[in-house]
Amino acid sequence: MKQWKICLAALAVAAGLGLFAAVIVWGDGMPGHMAGLCTGMGGALLGAGSVKLLIPLLMRSMTPEERQEVERGERDERNVAIREKAAYTSWYWTLGLLWIPFVVALLQGSTLWLCLSSGAVVLHSLFYLVNLARWARRM
Amino acid sequence: MTNRIAELRKQRQISQAELAQRVDVTRQTIISLENGRYNASLLLAHKIAAFFGLTIEEVFLFEEDAP
Repeated sequence: MKQWKICLAALAVAAGLGLFAAVIVWGDGMPGHMAGLCTGMGGALLGAGSVKLLIPLLMRSMTPEERQEVERGERDERNVAIREKAAYTSWYWTLGLLWIPFVVALLQGSTLWLCLSSGAVVLHSLFYLVNLARWARRM
Repeated sequence: MTNRIAELRKQRQISQAELAQRVDVTRQTIISLENGRYNASLLLAHKIAAFFGLTIEEVFLFEEDAP
């Protein structure tokens, strides 16, 4: 893994621990939602950073043959095709699921959630269109 | 599309793992190709055909060409 990626992962772990420490030290003085946000963000950063740091360590503990096998699996065309198909299918599932909060917001008449949920549907489709155009130029 | 990978591999007494290593894919990909669950890309078809010293048409058979 590139050096900057390791540094970024270490920073994420440090930031995660920092957020946890902040909640422990100043948690009582914080508004409820702020403490929840810091804990959630801290957990996410700590988890993502730790995984990124653990993968190179795990790779280092493997034999050269095992490492080659793992690397081959990463660039294997069938695995790449599986990942692409999974991502494509997930996009359709997510698009379908995003309509649920939109309909709920519509039924409840909540303007804020109506805007947020419709914005999410639009952005989800917009990213797809942007990526379609991007890949059409590349291929 | 069908292929003769399993037949050619057995003729030459090569394991799936060895073929996979030589054409730079996983053993699972070779298994899927042999079972007809996955169709190889042109690049992989070329690598496999070159490994057996044959042309792509001799290894991979399109439905209309298949016997």
